[in-house]
Amino acid sequence: MIGSDLIPPESVQGLMLGLVATIVAAPALAAIMLAAGCFSRSPRTPAVAALGVALVACALLSWLWHASTGAVYEFGERLGGGSFVHVDGITAALMPTVALIELAIVLVAPRRFLDPPATSRLLLGAAATFALFATAHPGALVALWFATALPTWISIRGTPGGRPAARVFATVMIAAFGAMAVGTLLMIFDPPWERGCGVVGNTGGWLVALAVLMRKGIVPFHSWYPSLYSGAPLSTALAATMPQVAAYTAVRLLMGHADHGMGVGAELVVLSQLALVTAAYGAALALVQRDLRGLVGTLAMSQSALVLAGLAGKVPMELNGALCVWISSGLALTGIGLVAWALESRAGTLSLTTPQGRFHDAPAIAAFFLIFGLAAIGVPGTLSFVADDLIVSGSLDEQLHAGLLVIVSTVLSGIAVMRGWFLIFGGPVAIDGPRHQILPRERFALTALLAPLFILGLWPGPLVTTLERAAEQLLGVTADGQPADARGNPPGEATIGGP
Amino acid sequence: MTIHDAVAALVVLQLAAPATTLALVGLPALFGRPLSERSTTSIVGGGFAVGFLAALGVLAILASRSFVPEVVHTGTWFAVGHHEATVNLVADALSVPYVCFSTGLCWLVNSFAGKYLHREPGFTRFFILLALFGTGMNLMVLADSIDVMFAGWEFVGISSALLIGFFFERRNAIDAALRAYTTYRICDVGLLVAAVVVHRAVGSGDFERLFGADWPHSTSLVPEGTATVVSLLLVFAALGKTAQVPFSGWLPRAMEGPTPSSAIFYGALSIHAGAYVLLRCEALLEAAPLARMALVVIAAGSALHAGLVGRVQTDLKSMLAYASMAQASLILVEIGLGWRVVPLVHVVGHAILRSLQILRSPSALHDRHELEAAIGGHPDLGGWSPVSWLPAPARAAVYRIALERGFEEPFVMGLVGPVIRLLERLAGAERAWVAWLGEKRSRPGGDGQ
Repeated sequence: MIGSDLIPPESVQGLMLGLVATIVAAPALAAIMLAAGCFSRSPRTPAVAALGVALVACALLSWLWHASTGAVYEFGERLGGGSFVHVDGITAALMPTVALIELAIVLVAPRRFLDPPATSRLLLGAAATFALFATAHPGALVALWFATALPTWISIRGTPGGRPAARVFATVMIAAFGAMAVGTLLMIFDPPWERGCGVVGNTGGWLVALAVLMRKGIVPFHSWYPSLYSGAPLSTALAATMPQVAAYTAVRLLMGHADHGMGVGAELVVLSQLALVTAAYGAALALVQRDLRGLVGTLAMSQSALVLAGLAGKVPMELNGALCVWISSGLALTGIGLVAWALESRAGTLSLTTPQGRFHDAPAIAAFFLIFGLAAIGVPGTLSFVADDLIVSGSLDEQLHAGLLVIVSTVLSGIAVMRGWFLIFGGPVAIDGPRHQILPRERFALTALLAPLFILGLWPGPLVTTLERAAEQLLGVTADGQPADARGNPPGEATIGGP
Repeated sequence: MTIHDAVAALVVLQLAAPATTLALVGLPALFGRPLSERSTTSIVGGGFAVGFLAALGVLAILASRSFVPEVVHTGTWFAVGHHEATVNLVADALSVPYVCFSTGLCWLVNSFAGKYLHREPGFTRFFILLALFGTGMNLMVLADSIDVMFAGWEFVGISSALLIGFFFERRNAIDAALRAYTTYRICDVGLLVAAVVVHRAVGSGDFERLFGADWPHSTSLVPEGTATVVSLLLVFAALGKTAQVPFSGWLPRAMEGPTPSSAIFYGALSIHAGAYVLLRCEALLEAAPLARMALVVIAAGSALHAGLVGRVQTDLKSMLAYASMAQASLILVEIGLGWRVVPLVHVVGHAILRSLQILRSPSALHDRHELEAAIGGHPDLGGWSPVSWLPAPARAAVYRIALERGFEEPFVMGLVGPVIRLLERLAGAERAWVAWLGEKRSRPGGDGQ
């Protein structure tokens, strides 16, 4: 194991910055080249190359952070709670997940959805998402909220029949962006991360919380979420929702407040309660969906809400669970979405009112759907089981109802997944119908998403240790309840760089 | 190597053997290269054989040491602060005989199914699910904590539902599988919440914090209130898998699956999973008279229901399903009465008999048809009925109740139907709201595109 004796944090500072630059620049550069007309015949090739480079760089960044005792790396201007470039545990843990999700989307996307403009938008969105996950600067966060939402809106708007969904998306995003911008300005004016914050700062915090509610699709602002999955290409819907930009923003802006006990803002507590309701309500709605996209959308809404539910945890274990859910739900739901898309591109819209008989058509896709479905609902042996265990165990002392709602959500989601599987793949088979074998690139992408879910589910120790350190940094306490130093690092850990 | 090390290695082998076969058969199938039928049955059968022999080895060692339990610590799965997830297994007078007979039965059914399902399109799928079931069953039985037990319990439920829906070209199979899985999941809430309550009460899911002394002489270590709550939750969990009223509707439908899986699941092992969980936690039940009373009442009622309904079934598999349910109910009554060894013996005896009957049922029907053809009519099996002494109106009422399966279905649908309708209305309202939000209102008459 590599510890601080082998890699002193100061020595890798430049490398960290270089990696962040590579992660953001690779997809951005590929997007610009595609927009300029290069690779117009095979836009998938540069996209895969760029996101592959980003994935390797993310993995290296994550490993370096782990190997350099989990220091916080800060570069550029510091405003309020964070610096322009900010790499800590949460960045290190989530970046590889985001990169893997983006790469899998590009690999599985059917050719007709991957023309140069669409690919360019996808890559720009990915670059903006990477940039967002590498900053804690409030101004940069506001700007990147806009930058991540814009390609999504353009993409939905350009989809045949997608304009109603684009309008719904635009309505919610404009409101969310407005609340986010005003709230952040108020927070900068009257910083809640400094002692003595007044009404203005608190109002700003609540406005940011409102923005997070809307962008994250939390009850009562959840309706756009399934609508996006129904009206947009699934690549767009998955790329827009699975990285969970709003949850990241909540971590950066609503944690570490000086006037709140254990650094967790009251806003975050309210968000987490509403997220728990969303998880249970979304799972209940998933039971009665009439088509596959509706099922994927409501499941995604439900399971990804659990991330926010765990973020209000005042103990690192619960936060650790939330970060685990972040990774597991991101990978598993992306898998389900991509499988649904692969199937839809072969068979058209799939109804859940009668059995569709698709198993013999595409048995490998059926197997992937089932495995991803089980991996999303907390089946033992997968990462989501570990995540649910941590959230439920972490919430037991203070919020028994949280544990119960997580259980209800898991139980209902399980029934919805099994119903979806039987109704899509079961039913009479058209003997002379076409046979659609899974493509090698699809199999590769789906296996790449599946492998971490099972490997980390069976051997979660290293991930949980990494996330524990990230959770300690965010909460400013160690897992054993020891206080952290003033900059948010547990005792013995350092902040590197900064102004 | 000490005796403990030998037991530990053999116990881990009982789990690892079927789990390895699951990977060996499942991964090639996932990558589009399923193994041949012969290789599939050999590998899965080999896994069960190894597990069975390992279980016999442990049984021999334990028997030579007066069944002193051996707890096997396989290590810490993950740890956060003070929270440590460990996978502890236990070899004792309950788990080892149970693993012997469950793994042995799986091995036998594996051999039977290899021929019975020859050239069936879902051949590989069946054996993958059988290996998953074997792994889950062994995990559940060998668990030394409620968390590990739940993990095994889940695998049993998933494999059971997928095997009920094995012939998913038929709508009936799909409906039956969904009915079973929904029942399992609803009752799983009992086990999950029990795990939450146990963690909250004693700070860990380990059984050593819940019970003192060795099975079958274990005693509860928690206060009566906690024991009552946990016991009631465990009873609720057991009702689903053991098909007790009002959760029994899935069992006759479950016979939609292939005969070998019906035999191993609903004649032998899955149907008794609830009984095993209650036997394992019998010490808690003993400290919870309310839970025991509830168990006895529900199980006795279910036995009566199954006995009555089973007598009017017109197909062999449904009749066997109700016979299984009746015996499983009696086993639960025995557990509720505080007996420990008797229910275990009852489980083993019933499982062996019933799986034999179910495996034999297709050929028994064939034999019966041949017999009828030979004698030119139906053989006389006697006309005595246990309700023949009742007056005609009462007899008609009993037949009505039996033929309507105790009116269980209308009762369940009366509970579930309104919830589904409410959810459908909510989903409809969501769609209408989104449609309104997505309408273009700036240019009246525009199509919005």
